[in-house]
Amino acid sequence: MDTPSVRPGPSAPRARKANLYLAAGLVMTGLAVSLGVLGLFWTPYSTTAMSVPDRFAPPSLAHPFGTDNFGRDIFSRVMQGMGTTVCISVLVVLASAAAGVLLGAFTGYFGGLLDEVVMRFTDAVNGFPSILLALVMISLLGNGRQNLILSLSIVFVPSYVRIVRSEYLRLRDADYICRARLMGVNRLRVLFVHILPNILPVLSVSLLIGLNNAILAESGMSYLGIGIQPPEASLGNMLSDAQGYLQAAPWYALAPGLSIVWLVLGFSLFGEGIRRGGV
Amino acid sequence: MIRIENLSVSFGDTAAVKNVTLELRDGEILGLVGESGCGKSVTALTLMGLCAREARMESGRICFDQEVLAEAGKPRDEALYRAYQGARMAMVFQEPMTSLNPTQRVGRQVEEVLKLHTKLNAQSRRQKVLETFEEVGLRETERVYQSFPHQLSGGMRQRVMIAMAVILRPRLLVADEPTTALDVTVQGQIVSLLQEINRRQDNAMLFITHDLDLARRLCHRIAVMKDGCVVEQGETGQIFTAPAQAYTRKLIEAAPSRMRQREIPSSGAAPQTPVVEVKNLSVFYQEGSNSLFSRGRRRAAVQGADFTVYQGESLGLVGESGCGKTSLSKALLGMNRMIEGQIIHHTVRPQMIFQDPYSSLNPAKTVGWLLQEPLRARGALDPGLAMTKGDMEAAAYEMLLRVGLEEQYFHRKPSQLSGGQRQRVSIAQALITQPGFLVADEPVSALDVTIQAQIMELLQKLRQEMKLSCLFISHDIHVVYQMCDRIMVMREGRIIETGRRSEIFRSPKEAYTRQLLCGS
Repeated sequence: MDTPSVRPGPSAPRARKANLYLAAGLVMTGLAVSLGVLGLFWTPYSTTAMSVPDRFAPPSLAHPFGTDNFGRDIFSRVMQGMGTTVCISVLVVLASAAAGVLLGAFTGYFGGLLDEVVMRFTDAVNGFPSILLALVMISLLGNGRQNLILSLSIVFVPSYVRIVRSEYLRLRDADYICRARLMGVNRLRVLFVHILPNILPVLSVSLLIGLNNAILAESGMSYLGIGIQPPEASLGNMLSDAQGYLQAAPWYALAPGLSIVWLVLGFSLFGEGIRRGGV
Repeated sequence: MIRIENLSVSFGDTAAVKNVTLELRDGEILGLVGESGCGKSVTALTLMGLCAREARMESGRICFDQEVLAEAGKPRDEALYRAYQGARMAMVFQEPMTSLNPTQRVGRQVEEVLKLHTKLNAQSRRQKVLETFEEVGLRETERVYQSFPHQLSGGMRQRVMIAMAVILRPRLLVADEPTTALDVTVQGQIVSLLQEINRRQDNAMLFITHDLDLARRLCHRIAVMKDGCVVEQGETGQIFTAPAQAYTRKLIEAAPSRMRQREIPSSGAAPQTPVVEVKNLSVFYQEGSNSLFSRGRRRAAVQGADFTVYQGESLGLVGESGCGKTSLSKALLGMNRMIEGQIIHHTVRPQMIFQDPYSSLNPAKTVGWLLQEPLRARGALDPGLAMTKGDMEAAAYEMLLRVGLEEQYFHRKPSQLSGGQRQRVSIAQALITQPGFLVADEPVSALDVTIQAQIMELLQKLRQEMKLSCLFISHDIHVVYQMCDRIMVMREGRIIETGRRSEIFRSPKEAYTRQLLCGS
């Protein structure tokens, strides 16, 4: 009965480590996101103004990341690109998580025919590589920012449905949920007021992982030329433009590439910090 | 002779054991009693050299005859401990299911001890294991040898654990709550077995328990622990007849025992208005099927139950685990619809209190929110009963005080409360809408004895104040005795005996009821 008292030890060092993850993640994402959001409204140089004499200028004080093949300031374009990428990814994650929570809550709690139908549908979606599926959808819907968001959201829904559904399955027979039913609390309230707060820890971690996947997916689509269209900057299409100048101007590819790594690493550390009970 | 001298153990900044000195002679059973968290398990684990790495020995030493096994400030001699563990000292744990490896046949697991500590060959090892199985009262030893842990009952698993512990005839046997996870009737058998082994092998035994009745039956001497200290130590008879410390007295009084006939005032007028009527009720559950193609069979958990709960009455339901008590209560509250027969409720929204105070409160909410939720739900269902925010808050505060918690708990979350406090909040939550009927499913069995007594008192008080009818479910017949006017005894899905409390206790009709009465 009192065995739990035997091992209270490890929590303290673990908590300190979690804070380290959390702090590193917060600093990295904070820096990237604020630069990106700023970049949507203001950049040191115009992101589209071309200037032939400045072509392929290496990094310097005037151009910290150098300039590209049209003489545009890469730092400004990275700022704007990061802003675009983060914005799109956040919208994708919010849309797919909202749909995932709704579907997962109903299927997990009620089960039955709806559950079967939705689960088989998610199986089908999971059967294809998600990028491929998004590609097909965009080619059907046509290029454009909204279509990019829509198709990526649809592709990401199944993963949230699965996570949320399994949490609802786990909690629907918990004693405190039985008691809520006994009190006569109505079903929607049980689903979203009684159960939902208890899955937030799990959900928040998967939101951050989802954000990473969305960043990578968006960059990948833009790299392939079906996401954000030039001349508008995005990390993906910059990377694709830079491909031809890897030898002449390596900084051109490094800047957007490292920015993607920075973003993804930041969110990963942040997520890990939360998962380890930092918040 | 085994001596623990002046032992202090701490985890980080918190001291778990403070200056404990104990002495065990050969052939002696020393009981170590106290509530959970008092440090009795840590003491035992330190003695066995099994304590977690975070545990630090602050002072004292452990001696086995003349040899010093462990001393504060010196690193633990792992080799020395390995020679002692299993061979000269052995331990029996509380939960036999998790103490055995589920993927290995139990015979092999017991044999492992012999492999490690003796030079016997395979044939004689097997022989020895079978002999020991017989000694600990296992029948069909060959079959047991070949079984996996999940194929054995809880009692049999605990016997296997005991066999594993005593096979090398250790000088010291430490038993940490060895019967707590078992049913009462099995508990009695295991206790007798331990007693017999002690007599036969003449070893020293440290018996750790929170159950004073058990300690009284088994131990020669008893040490009472509280907050890491031994507060009292002495011969069993002396501890029980003349406890020197107030805490010991409190523990003894709290234990629900039939020794003291604590009378409850019977609830006033003749209880004749029925609150719940159950007629020929059978409850089923779907058995999981092993085949892909056929659905599992429908099994009856309860068969032909017939009873009535009257206004203001407290009806007890006792039986061992798995006898169908919980299935019956769930069906009664409409949580299981696979039933046959009739349930007629004369009250609206009967409420229930669950056994585990840790899982019956929503961990994401505050106590105040939890207490107002039933009122909100009632208001939503019946606009006539809707209350204003202020009224609900006032009602919640009032209920909080009625269950004996201060106002400051209003804003706490369940994780910040102790087990007893959580159970109080559970009770408050169940009773705030003043339901006419309450089902209490083992509401005190997860709690410490002193807390148990407080919760039972609270329930008793509220029951009288609110004129509440109650179905009180427990595996412990003494708990039911204190709480109930009438008692039903259940076995294997059937109610085999019903009667007034005094009848059941003075002249039980069924042999099984008698067994339950003496078993604990």
